Amino acid sequence: MTTAPPAGPGGVVKTPRGPDLPPPARRSAPRARRGLLRALPVSPAVVLLALFMAGPIGYCAYIAFTDLQLTGQAESSFIGFDNFREAFGDERFLNAVWLTLVFTVLSSLIGQNTLGLALASLMRRASKPVRTVTGAVVITAWVLPEVVAGFLLYAFFRREGTLNAVLDFLHLPSQNWMFTLPILAVSFANVWRGTAFSMLVYSAALNEIPKEITEAAEVDGAGGWRRMWHITLPMIRRSIGTNLMLNTLQTLSVFGLIWVMTRGGPGNRSQTLPLFMYEQAFQKSMIGYGTAVALLLLVVGSLFSLVYMRLLRTEV
Amino acid sequence: MPVTKSAGGARAPRTPRSRRRKHRLAADAGLLVVAAAFVLPLAWVVLSSVDPKADLRVRLPDSLTLDNYDKVLTPEITFTPLLNSFLLCGGGTLLTVVCSALAAYPLSRYRSRLNRPFMLTILFATSLPITAIMVPVYALFVQVDLIDTMQGTIFFFAASQLPFAIWLMKNFMDGVPKELEEAAWTDGASSFQSLLRIVLPLMGPGVAVVTVFSFVMMWGNFFVPFMLLLTPEQMPASVSINDFFGNKGTVVYGQLAAFSLLYSTPVILLYVLISRRLGGGFALGGAVKG
Amino acid sequence: MRPTHRPLLLAAATLLTAGALSACGGGSGDDPDTVKISYKQSTDNEIRVMDTYLADIKKQFEKANPGKKVKLVPIKAPDAEYYTKLQQMLRSPKTAPDLVYEDTFLINSDITSGYLKPLDPYLAKWKDWDQFIDTAKTAAKAADGKTYGVPDGTDTRGLWFSRSIFEKAGLPADWQPKNWDEILDAARTIKKKVPGVTPLNVYTGKPVGEAASMQGFEMLAYGTGEDPLYDPEAKKWVTGSKGFKDSLAFVETVFKEKLGPDVSDALDPNFPTRVRGELLPEDKLGINLDGSWLPQDWGEGAGHEWPEWSKKLGLAHMPTQAGQAPGKVSMSGGWTWAIPSKADNPDLAFTFIETMQTKANAKKWYVANSGIAVREDVAADPSYVKAQPGIEFFTDLVASTHYRPAYPAYPKVSTAIQEAMESVTTGDASVADAARGYDEEVESATDGEVIEK
Repeated sequence: MTTAPPAGPGGVVKTPRGPDLPPPARRSAPRARRGLLRALPVSPAVVLLALFMAGPIGYCAYIAFTDLQLTGQAESSFIGFDNFREAFGDERFLNAVWLTLVFTVLSSLIGQNTLGLALASLMRRASKPVRTVTGAVVITAWVLPEVVAGFLLYAFFRREGTLNAVLDFLHLPSQNWMFTLPILAVSFANVWRGTAFSMLVYSAALNEIPKEITEAAEVDGAGGWRRMWHITLPMIRRSIGTNLMLNTLQTLSVFGLIWVMTRGGPGNRSQTLPLFMYEQAFQKSMIGYGTAVALLLLVVGSLFSLVYMRLLRTEV
Repeated sequence: MPVTKSAGGARAPRTPRSRRRKHRLAADAGLLVVAAAFVLPLAWVVLSSVDPKADLRVRLPDSLTLDNYDKVLTPEITFTPLLNSFLLCGGGTLLTVVCSALAAYPLSRYRSRLNRPFMLTILFATSLPITAIMVPVYALFVQVDLIDTMQGTIFFFAASQLPFAIWLMKNFMDGVPKELEEAAWTDGASSFQSLLRIVLPLMGPGVAVVTVFSFVMMWGNFFVPFMLLLTPEQMPASVSINDFFGNKGTVVYGQLAAFSLLYSTPVILLYVLISRRLGGGFALGGAVKG
Repeated sequence: MRPTHRPLLLAAATLLTAGALSACGGGSGDDPDTVKISYKQSTDNEIRVMDTYLADIKKQFEKANPGKKVKLVPIKAPDAEYYTKLQQMLRSPKTAPDLVYEDTFLINSDITSGYLKPLDPYLAKWKDWDQFIDTAKTAAKAADGKTYGVPDGTDTRGLWFSRSIFEKAGLPADWQPKNWDEILDAARTIKKKVPGVTPLNVYTGKPVGEAASMQGFEMLAYGTGEDPLYDPEAKKWVTGSKGFKDSLAFVETVFKEKLGPDVSDALDPNFPTRVRGELLPEDKLGINLDGSWLPQDWGEGAGHEWPEWSKKLGLAHMPTQAGQAPGKVSMSGGWTWAIPSKADNPDLAFTFIETMQTKANAKKWYVANSGIAVREDVAADPSYVKAQPGIEFFTDLVASTHYRPAYPAYPKVSTAIQEAMESVTTGDASVADAARGYDEEVESATDGEVIEK
């Protein structure tokens, strides 16, 4: 499926924007009205986004400063920065921050991104059947619903699961992955599930590099690694940036996968921020505190996003 | 030697064929190793679903059975949750596609000083961790009485997919030359007509990609319905599967596997269908880059 | 733009907006003739004890009240997640059922939140209420003196042991440990002599929730001395007590010496379900510190039929730490039926409670649920006492039982206990560190209402 040539849409993004057309027969309309009319089609989207995205974000910023509880409280009150002060003094919060960092770096930056790029570049050289099969398998993992992926990898990493069976077969020491190194297990799970996206992005990007350039470098005797480093990577710089951004932020908000596999345990060994947030807000009934954590997560996400946008100086 | 694209034909005479072949073998081997690692969990689910004595390991069943499917094909376990999933994701996708197509049109066609900030905001919103706002969304939905309603969940689904959808849609739309529309305008067609009759048909693959991507994302989403729906009979498959099989202790693995496959089939079919038609993955990958 | 098409576009936009807005205004529109009842459904797909019972009551109710309907809304989740879902439902009039099944440990917390309705006006007119024993009447009485729930039974806790494993290990068939060490010794003997079985189960950790606090920790802590968690005289929560640390140390020993289940199993939210459905019936567990209700899964038609359990399992009461008086410990809790303050049909809901609590129906439930009767008329009924082996043993424990300090802060204190247990179970923290963590957590959860002992 991924072997198809980069058809139309693959290339469209770079299409330079021509000069804007004059609007069709509308000379009589006053400018302001015309602008409004033009903006009209955007309004359903704007309304939806305002009500269901901006609304909750604003509400989030409000609840984060209250001590709202799910149970055990007659009335909530405004408590200023208490929730945040508490968070930064809370070992479990700091543990969650650390695990989120590990999870993101391991599974997104290193795992999905590198593996995706490796797969994409290997695919350019591999034979067609192998390429098709690998593509199909990797993409299936991506298309599968989150919870199903969670179950499959739960079965894979369990003590009596497939991974240990394979390790036994190879005479390597097996262990109870979900218990000893749950954060590693969920990170691998996220790599398994998310690599396809990077692979697709990089396949498309690599296909846009003119053959002549790589061939010329080959003729000059540049080895594979040097070609990768000096020619390919700089040329797909923008794709790398966008992909990293989407991957990182996607990974920051993974909940279902970890919930199904470990529920954040054992202990708090795989409790990333989203799980910590859920536990505080609902299992410990501290909605205010949980929301403060959510707000921090949002802020971190926004910072990431801004930094990437800055680096790329995105043109839209 | 079979001619493949990557072999690049014989236009590079200075490169010995044997080196090429060696490269290809290495690439094949590398890919196969990764594919083998990726396929193990998938093999487990397929094999276990027909294994009367399924456990957690991949292995060939001694005998085949359809009992597992038979057991889960009940309204309670399969049909109602899948129907709910279709309603939720179908509604959400429809709303997403309609709104994003409408929104993309002026953004792609008219120049305005609002375009850039708008698109930057959209790009920014694309990357917000949706998970983080689920707690306030829950609290907000309780306040405005949208909690535990299908429409509320659909609206939220649509809103959460919209930024990415608008962004993709606009990128695809930019690829449709404006000259084609000019002709229509001269004939007196309105913007809406030209969007509907000219632009959208020309960017069919783009619309299809946005549709499928939105649908797949919603179909697999666990956290949103988990938080926003409460009544068991409204739950989509993504949540009900966890209720039925989340109790891993006593779970019958064969049935879990069978249900997992039933639940995953629609999105896999959809993906296969679309990639057959237009190399779907590529289209998405292409539209995503900067 | 030709004018004809502007309306079209406008229409599309308004339609969407209107849809969004009208959805916000959509009321609950509940049927005044339908009682919605939420209860906890077992996560074990084979076990439908409560479903069967409620379906029966529903039939009686609908027959006795023509035109009225009952809608059962089962919530299928492990205990801890059930409470969360329930509270989420109680918050909104849209989702609040008319009748809910509430655990007594949580009821004060939910009362404080204003989720429940006082039942006093109904109880005053209900003659069967006089049949309830006093502890049951106070089980759901809040600080404001009002009663918010009707208990459907109570429970006690003790030690269950497998006779066949004990025989293989050379332990006595009438085993009765006199202190904690004797329990550990028995477990060590089993570990040595009967490989492949779990010697001793003590519930632990957040995933199993209240089971860890009550069946596990408090059964230990209340055997170390007076009021290990809450000082009723000072009206303060207790921190830093030796009894607390000793109880944690017991848990630590169980898992450190591998006398308990594999830690990853113990920390599975459905482990309690597995113990009842698998480990005990299959003779894979030597000693189990658990509640009186276990046989409900083993009755006829209950899912895991195991009528011979009373021959296969022995019962012993839980001893105090060093055998100090009174020599045995038990904890009691139980569940109540309560009416949410946002219920649409509270009157009808109470009629349903009355239907459940006719003498015959109450007895049927006590037996089906392996509950301990809280109604005098049923408790005195010989057919109830004989209905199931074990009832006598566990009813006798009521005399020496303790109740949880189920104040509004209790659920948070309980979670803090579970976290402390979990960290010594996994070995992530020492007993001293875990106890310190607990003290800090309790102090912040109760706004400093603590007393150090």
